[in-house]
Order: sequence, then C-alpha cells, then structure tokens
Amino acid sequence: MVARNASKKRKAVTRDVEEEAGVFSGDELSPENLDGTLSDNDNDLSESEDGSDSEIELIDDFSDEDDDEEEELDSDEIPSDDEDEQKQKQTVKRSNADEPNVRIVKDANGNDRYLYDEIIPDDNSDYSEAEENANTIGDIPLTFYDQYPHIGYDINGKKIMRPAKGEALDALLDSIEIPKGWTGLTDPSTGKPLNLSQSELELLKKVQMNEITSEGYDQYEPLVEYFSGKQEIMPLSAAPEPKRRFVPSKHEAKRVMKIVKAIREGRILPYRPPEEREEKDDTVVNFDLWADEVERKDHIMHIPAPKLPPPGYEESYHPPPEYLPDKKERKEWEQTDPEDREKEFLPNDYGSLRRVPGFENFIKEKFERCLDLYLAPRVRRSKLNIDPESLLPKLPSPEELKPFPTTCATVFRGHKGRVRSLAVDPTGIWLATGGDDGTVRVWELLTGRQLWSIKLSDEDAVNVVSWRPGKDHIVLAAACGDDLYLSVPPIADPEIEKASLELVDAGWGYAANAPALNTVEAKKANKPVQWIRPSSALADAGVSVVIPLRYVPKSISWHRRGDYFVTVCSGASTPASVAISIHTISKHLTQFPFRRRLKGGGPPQTAHFHPSKPILFVANQRSIRAYDLSRQLLVKILQPGARWISSFDIHPTSSTASGGDNIIIGSYDRRLLWHDLDLSPRPYKTLRYHRKAIRAVKFHPGGRYPLFADASDDGSIQIFHGSVTGDMLSNATIVPLKVLKGHKVTGELGVLDIDWHPREAWCVSAGADGTCRLWM
Amino acid sequence: MSDEQTSSAVEATQRQVRVQLMSKQEDIALPENTGPILVPTGLRRYALSTLVNNLLSSEKPIPFEFLINGTFLRTSIDEYLTANGISSETTLEIEYVRALIPPLHIASFEHDDWVSATDVLSEASPAASWASGAKFSKGQERILSGSYDGLLRIWNMSSEIVATSIGPSDGGHTSSIKAAKFVSPNQIASAGLDRTVRLWKYTEDASDFTGKITPQLELYGHKSGIESLAVHASSNRLLTGSSDNNVGFWSTKKADAPAAPETLLPSSSARNVKRRKLNATVSVSTPQRGPLALMSGHTGTVSAAIFDAKDSTVGYSASWDHSLRTWDLVTAALVDTRTTSHSLLSLEHLPEHNLLAAGTAARHITLIDPRASATTVAAMTLRGHTNAVVSLARDPHSAYGLISGSHDGTCRIWDIRSTKTDKDGVVGESVYSITRKSLEEEGKAESKRVGGEGVKVFSVCWDPTVGIVSAGEDKRIQINRGEGVLSSQ
Repeated sequence: MVARNASKKRKAVTRDVEEEAGVFSGDELSPENLDGTLSDNDNDLSESEDGSDSEIELIDDFSDEDDDEEEELDSDEIPSDDEDEQKQKQTVKRSNADEPNVRIVKDANGNDRYLYDEIIPDDNSDYSEAEENANTIGDIPLTFYDQYPHIGYDINGKKIMRPAKGEALDALLDSIEIPKGWTGLTDPSTGKPLNLSQSELELLKKVQMNEITSEGYDQYEPLVEYFSGKQEIMPLSAAPEPKRRFVPSKHEAKRVMKIVKAIREGRILPYRPPEEREEKDDTVVNFDLWADEVERKDHIMHIPAPKLPPPGYEESYHPPPEYLPDKKERKEWEQTDPEDREKEFLPNDYGSLRRVPGFENFIKEKFERCLDLYLAPRVRRSKLNIDPESLLPKLPSPEELKPFPTTCATVFRGHKGRVRSLAVDPTGIWLATGGDDGTVRVWELLTGRQLWSIKLSDEDAVNVVSWRPGKDHIVLAAACGDDLYLSVPPIADPEIEKASLELVDAGWGYAANAPALNTVEAKKANKPVQWIRPSSALADAGVSVVIPLRYVPKSISWHRRGDYFVTVCSGASTPASVAISIHTISKHLTQFPFRRRLKGGGPPQTAHFHPSKPILFVANQRSIRAYDLSRQLLVKILQPGARWISSFDIHPTSSTASGGDNIIIGSYDRRLLWHDLDLSPRPYKTLRYHRKAIRAVKFHPGGRYPLFADASDDGSIQIFHGSVTGDMLSNATIVPLKVLKGHKVTGELGVLDIDWHPREAWCVSAGADGTCRLWM
Repeated sequence: MSDEQTSSAVEATQRQVRVQLMSKQEDIALPENTGPILVPTGLRRYALSTLVNNLLSSEKPIPFEFLINGTFLRTSIDEYLTANGISSETTLEIEYVRALIPPLHIASFEHDDWVSATDVLSEASPAASWASGAKFSKGQERILSGSYDGLLRIWNMSSEIVATSIGPSDGGHTSSIKAAKFVSPNQIASAGLDRTVRLWKYTEDASDFTGKITPQLELYGHKSGIESLAVHASSNRLLTGSSDNNVGFWSTKKADAPAAPETLLPSSSARNVKRRKLNATVSVSTPQRGPLALMSGHTGTVSAAIFDAKDSTVGYSASWDHSLRTWDLVTAALVDTRTTSHSLLSLEHLPEHNLLAAGTAARHITLIDPRASATTVAAMTLRGHTNAVVSLARDPHSAYGLISGSHDGTCRIWDIRSTKTDKDGVVGESVYSITRKSLEEEGKAESKRVGGEGVKVFSVCWDPTVGIVSAGEDKRIQINRGEGVLSSQ
C-alpha cells in the first residue's frame, strides 16, 4: 500500500518537475539574468547536449528531494502501521508544535532552499477525497452488470464483486427479526441490503415530527438586533474602497460611446426637425387692417396715467413681523367703515406663496382704478427745470483769492513743552512766543532765528504774549502765572528802545504823584493792584514792569492806541469782580470795570477792544456782550449758540467799511461762527469743519487781505476768505481756502494759537508739539 | 488708428528738415563752409549733440544743448516744429551751447553757528578786479563768511580759517551778521542785526596761514537790522537794505562820510549806558560815521539793495512791501517803482538782458524789466523752489545763467533761455538743483524738511574759479563745482 502510494507520488512529482524544468529553463533566459548568463547561453548553444544533460540532472535532483518530502507528508497525512512512519509522524508533529513549518535544505548549487510543509485541508475545505472502495462505473444502470459476478470497479480498476446473496430462510428470518434501520431495500451501488444508520433514523424521526432536522438548532434563541437605534462605534466593515469606485466604468464608457456613435451617424437627432407647416390656403384672403399704420403723436392734451407706486413690504405675502397688525389694529380696521380705512387691506402672513389665496377683489379693484382714471380730473403742471448747481452760492475759486498761506516756510523750534501763545510784532519782523517752559522768546520771523529769550517763571507757563500796537515803541506784554510782565526786548535800535522804556516807565511818577485817585479806584475795586518793579535779573533781561494780579490771566488784548490793555482771568475760581481788568500804561493803573458777574453763560473767557470804536467786547462761555465804554452801557448781546466760546476776533475794517461789525467766534464744540452784528444776535454762518475744539480765531489785521484763520486741537489750521463789502445789501462772502497741516497733536492738543503777519498774507501758529510755524 | 499713427511716425522719422547749426563760441564753432544740413526730424538733443561732435571731430565728446529761437530744445525736432507751427521746409537755425554739467560737491566748511553771508575773493571776483594797490595772485582764493554769532571768518580753499574777526566786547558786531562782502582784497564790509555797517581791514601774513581783520570804520544810520549789502569799490560806495524800510547809501572812505547820528550810537541807549558802566566800557577807537543818504520810500523791510551792474549811480532795491524801486544814487531820489504781487526777498541784476531777478516769498523768482518803457512788470517767472528765495547770484560764465538760494535748503541753477509759455506767462524751470551736503551726510537726502528746517540756504555766491559757494542754517559753507559748467558766452 505504502509502496504503491510512493510510486504513484513519484510519478506525479516527476511530471511536475518536468513542467517546472521548462519554467526553469525559461527562467534562465530571462532578461534579468542575461548579463551573468550570456556566456552560459553561448555554451548552451554550442553544446546543446551538455545543457540537456544538466537539465536532466537537475530534474533528478529535484525529484529525489521531492520524493523524500512527499513521503514524509504522506506519512503525516495517512496513518500507517509502520514503525518508521510512526516515528516520523511523531517528529513531524513535534516539529509542527515547536518549529515553524519550514525546512531549510541545500539545493544542487549548495544554496539554501526552503521547503514548506504541505497545507492540510481540514473538514471545512472543499477538497473532497473519493472513497477508497467506491464504485466508479458512473451513470450506467446496474442492470448492465446483472450477468457478471461483479457490479463495477473501484478507483484502482479492480472489480467490485457482487456480495453473496443469502438464502430465502435468512431473508425470512431477517424479515421476522427486523434489525434496527432495516428498509428491505438493496443498495444498488453495493448490492447489500440498505440499512439506515442511527443518525438517519433520528433524522427521519424529526421529519416525521415536523421538527427542524439540523442538529443544535434553537428555534427560540435570543434575537440579535442588527438594526437597532443604537449607534455602533465601529463601522460594520473596514474593507477598503474597491478599485471600481476610482476607475471610470468601462461599461458606461461603452454605452456612452454607443450613443456618441449613434449621434455621429445621425441615428439620434438632438431635436426633432421642425415639421413643415401646412401650406397656406390660397383661397382664404386675410386683410391686415393695421399694415400701413404709422405711429401717431400723443394728443397735445394727453396726460399719461400716473403710475401706481411699487408695492411695499406690507403688501408682501410674507411681510416682516413688524408690518403685521396686532389684534387691536385688526379689530380697529375691521370696525372702521371701508370708506374711512387708511389702507385697503390688512397685511397678512401666508408663509409661502402657494398658500396665498386668490384675490377676490381683483375685478373690483381694477374697475375702481379704471373709474378713477376716467373720472379723476388731472391737472397739467409745468415742471420747474432748475439746475441744482445754480442754487449754490457763487463762490470764487481759491485760485482767484490768492495770496493766502499755503505752505510751511519756517519752523521755530526751541520751546520745551507746549507753545501757548504767539504774536507777530507790528512791524512784521519779529515773532514773540510764550510757552509751558515759562519762557518768552523773540524770533526773527523769516529765518526762525531766536533773538531773545527770557525765563519768567520756573513753574508757571506763559499763557499769553501780546505786542503793544504801534511801530514807534516795542513793548511786549506777557502773562505768566498770576503776573503780567511788560518788557522791552533789546532788539530794536536805541531810539525806539529809549522811547519804549520811557513809555513804560512814565507811570511810576504818576502812581506816586496821584495817590488820591488811586485810593478811590482801589476802594472801588476792593483789592488795589500795585505795579511793581521787577527783580534785577528780570530787569537786566528786559522786563520793565510786573503787575501781580493774584489770578491767572488767560487773555491780553490791547486797545489800538496802545495805552490800555484788557486782561481776563477766566479761571472758574476767580471772583467775578476781578476777572476782567483794564490796565493803563501811562498811569500804571489797573481797574476792574465789572463788579458783578455777567448774567448767564459762566465766567468770562476773553475780551477785545473794538478796533475803531470805544466798545469793549467781553465773551463768557456762551455769549458775547458789547459795552460802550464812553456811555458805560451794554450795547449788544450776541448769542452764537456755542456751548463754550474759546476765542473771538473783530473784523478790523468792517465797521468803517459797511457800518456794521463782523465777528468770528471759535468754540470748543468745534464750531466757527461768523456774526454780522447788523443782522441778528444769531450767527450769520456756522462753519463746522474741524474734528476737535477750535482754540483760536483771528482776522488778518489791517484789512489788506480779507482772510481769517482758525486753529484747532486736531492739529490743523484752516484759512478762510471772508470779505466784507461796503454795500449794505450784500452779506459777507466766506470761502474756505486751505487746510494747513503740520503740527503734531500732542496730548490731545494741536494748535493752540494763531496770528497773522500785519501786512503779508502770512500766518504763524503755535503748536502743542513745542514748535511754531510760519505759513506763507 | 494705430496704423495711422505708425505710418505718421514712420513719416516723421523719414521727414527731414534743413538745419543751420551755429555757435557763438569760437572754440566749438563749426567750420565756415558748413552749410545747412538735412537731418531727420525725429532727432532729439542727444542725437544732435552726437552729430555736432562728429562734425567737430572732437576727441572727447562735449555735451551740447540746442537753442531754437532762444528756447532750449526739449523734445524732438518734429514735435518742436508741430508745437510752434513751423514748416519743415524752412531752414531751421539752431544754436548750440555747452550743456551744464551737474555741479559736484567739493567741500564743506563747518561753523559754530548759522552762516548768513558768504563771499569769494578770487582772481575773477569783482573785489579782485577793484583791487587798486595789492595785486591778487592766483591760487590765493579766499572765502568770507558772516555768521549769526557775529563773527566774520576768512577761509582758504583747504578749509582752514585764515582769520576771524573780533568779538562784540572788542568792538566787533554786537549781534548777528546778515551780510558780508569783500570790498577789495584788503577790505571787507559787513552788516547785521546790530544796525551797523562795519568796514574791516584785512591783512595777510606772508606765510598765508594767518590773517588779521581789524575794524576800520563803523557806519551808523539804520534803525533796524540790515538785511543786505552791496559794494561798488571803484566808487567807494556801499548800498544797504534794512528792515527800517530804508535804503542806505554809504561811503567807504572815512573822509567822505558825514558824522554819525548821535541818537543811534550804542552809547545813547539808556539801558546800555548802565550796562556799559557795569562792563567797564571797552575802549573803542574805531571811527564812527553816518550815511551819505538814507533813501526812504519803501513801506516794508528792504530785503535787498544792489548797484546797477553797468552804472554805479543807479541802485535797485527790493522790499517786503512787494515793490522794486530804482534809485538815482547821485541825488538819492526815487526814480521808479515796480510793484509785484509778492514780497521780494532777494535781487540780482542781469545787465545783458536789462532784467532784474527778484526772489520772492512766494517760492519763485520773477524777472522784472526795470526800464520805464517796459510794458509788463514780470517778464518771466522761474518756478521750482519750495520756500522763500533769499539769495541770488549771476552765473559768471553765462549771461543767461542764474543761481538762487532758498529757505527750502536747495540752490537752483537756472537758464533763462530754458522756458515755456504758460497760462501765467513765461515760466522757467531750473536746470540743476544743489541740495545740502549735511542732509546727505545724515542719510536723509531724500527726506524733505518741512520749511527747510535746519538746512535753509541764506546766501549763495558763484565764482568762476571757486565755484558755487552757499551758506546756510546747517552751519556750513558748501562749495559745489560743475566741471564744464564754466563756459558759454
């Protein structure tokens, strides 16, 4: 049995190897090994016999090795009685248990060769083995063999002999004593009586009992809920996407190509060709009544119907909720008479357009509109054709209003901290500035050269500087802290300097000689102010007189003759009686003309003398009052409407030219207001061009150029043209000309003061950034 | 459309015009027999320049500028012909001149304070030509500077101070100097904010490294700072402009000058008397004299006063009151007033054209014809500066050249032939602009100073040998020279 098996295997293996040998030789010629085997190939070609020999040898080698292996495998597969086989089986089993199922053997060339164990198919495998003694005659009826002693052949070609038939008695006995599983049938394949096995009997029994035949089937096992509401964490399958998802479908391509081909060949047409219209029936004649009609002009009295206004939100089928009427409105609408209703309908929310019902009033509404158009008398109105440009006031272009300052010509740098005030001297050569560092400086205007500097105070800032008007004397008034200083800067020639010193010093004698008047004045004012001589250091530097005021003056304004100047202490804590003071240089006298607080509008801010009339203008926070000094009465109250006036200026020539005064007012609430005193106490023009508070406003002095400027905390200066004509009927022309930018905004403060050159269209500005600038 | 353009362009390049090239300068003139040449009308300045160089067969190419009818050619000939409506069949007369080459920075002399005035003493300078006794020798160029610290300094070309004037305590200027000029190689005149004109004697040692400036004469008369000073040495006359609105006319000779007005002497000031006593009065032996005439008429600061370049009996003055006045200096009478629309800050006479160039506060230079017969006030306007033009000087080589110093920190060279007609009349543009070296050294050459802060030019002087000397707020004297700038009629 074993030997037969072995021989059988041997044959099989030999055949296999022969096939493999073919593969092997082919392999030898594979291009990968070409380089190394070229010479071998040559040998092969020349000595073909040798090559074939070696091939055979190789085959033998393989066959031998395979033989052994097969034997071992056989032994593993089929149990045998041989001792050796048994041993081998044990070793194999051991090796199976302990070692991997691979053996390393040497091949013909001495290289390692891996031999793997044959895979044993288990019961689940499809591999089925034919039964050893099965009849192999196939589908031939057994009756063919009735004449023969055998009933067929087994797999080895040996006859399967017909089993011996028992005697009739045996059959009878058998029928009496029926063995378990007896059927009385003969198995056609074997010729033996067909008995049913125990398991087959049980199966039949189950079939009879209407039970399910398979073993271990539990009809009532618990349900596995595959499709439950619970969400499983892991996917049901982790299989990768199949390739077909990524490659275009060939089938589809095929079908598409089919259609394309059909389209190309014209079997499929993109659209149906238009059918030929039926021929016109020549017998019927149609007349076109309007064939030769030309468009006629509308009748001269034709008035097109007015257009209906476009629908609003409330007419929408789905209006915003604020348009929907609430209950009260709805009720009110329903209760009012249809004639009196404001609207013909109530807004209604339908949600979507398909819910909108038909409009039941359509006919009625159209009819009413037609009736309306028919009955309503319409009026022809001639439309005014006005060019909106022509309604604008005709302002001259800035080009025509030259000269005015446009660029920064000089930067005056030297002050530490803010420059609070500045003034150009009446001759137009020098510039005086005062700043937070307590110094007053005089500069050469054109070049920006500092000529003179004096430190008035270490702590207090110089709030305001002002030159005395008039070219014959050089007197500079400066307010620093509580004190006023009158100084004669040593920049002029000896004659003028002498005259100036004489002018300032003249009052010493007067004050000494006329004590009586002084005391009367002093009593009136409650607090006599004594003009005193400065300290020697200040006197050497050029200061002539010090006026201690006890409160901080924030504004100085000279009378045009230069003998008086008015100062205003605008601090909230200053008593009203001493807030405004008028100083007389020739008498060294300080008077307080206002004993009571100005009614309404807070503390006084600034004051100016009228340039030609004996009028003093005093501004408090919200109004400006004009007092006639000769008659000592209030002339006018201006209410600019500003919340807090910062500064104002009076037009230098308007009263002489037109008889009326013009005043510009700057306010901390960003407004620049032009007042024509003849017109009304309210402003004639309000200019709101700045983003921040306006600090200073100034007319060009002398009236040579009709210019004015304002300085603002936004760091810009704006130049305006403001001309006043002598004609009483025409109002002032105000044209914005230029915005001058350059000062840096430092600590929310921009440009703090501004002044004009007395003759040229140049202006100077003092900035919080510590510089002054000349603009020309 | 584009076809038309290209065809016309092709036509233009093919079109030719007959030109007659000529030059007024001998050394670059073409040979006599050179007749009119046919040139393509597409040529521009550069091509024409190459052409002329070829014709001259000059070894080193000279850059030329071309003038047609007194205007520089800035476009192609074709465009010029079209713009001026000239037929291309006429013979075009083109004058060529040497082109100006950008002036290069040579040196900067640093001072302690702002430099307000500068003048040059060289072989070709007016002061040298007026030298009576001492002959000026070449290679001894001197540069005079007047500074805001009240001192005059004399420099040689190797940036060494040869001499410095005395300080205020020793009888020098008590305030800033605003104008200073060489009268002769031995004499200097200076004036400033202390209202005096001072004449100094300048002597140099043989060693050349030390000189001495000694006060010679003090002239009193002005009541305010003196802004400008003009010198005519051959007639011993000075002309000053002051901010007291007067033009002063002075003599440099002690004997000619009248006595000084008592009230204006520093001793008359009440305050100064006191100070003088404290300071143990300096003993000043300098003679004090007054003006020959103080000519009043201006209503603003007289910013410049000059002599007529040909006739020393005629003076011109420019003022902040917008007017330019002509004075007869013999009788000290006002001859003529020309009023412009801007403040005038500087003045220069261009005698060949009978024009006065005046720098204005409105950032331009206006050329004014002072003759009574002139119909228009402003003949031409030169625009380009961005701040007040405070100093002007003639080009020593060309009758058409001019240099201006401005508060914007630049000096600009102008050629009055290079103009175009604008809506504002004839307008010119500068040929070159010289910036301050101090800005470049700070690495801020490109940045623009607001109001020319720190770099204002106060004075400019153009000398044929030394070059362009400018003084300014950056405390420097800056010397620029353009090689080849130096010639053209």
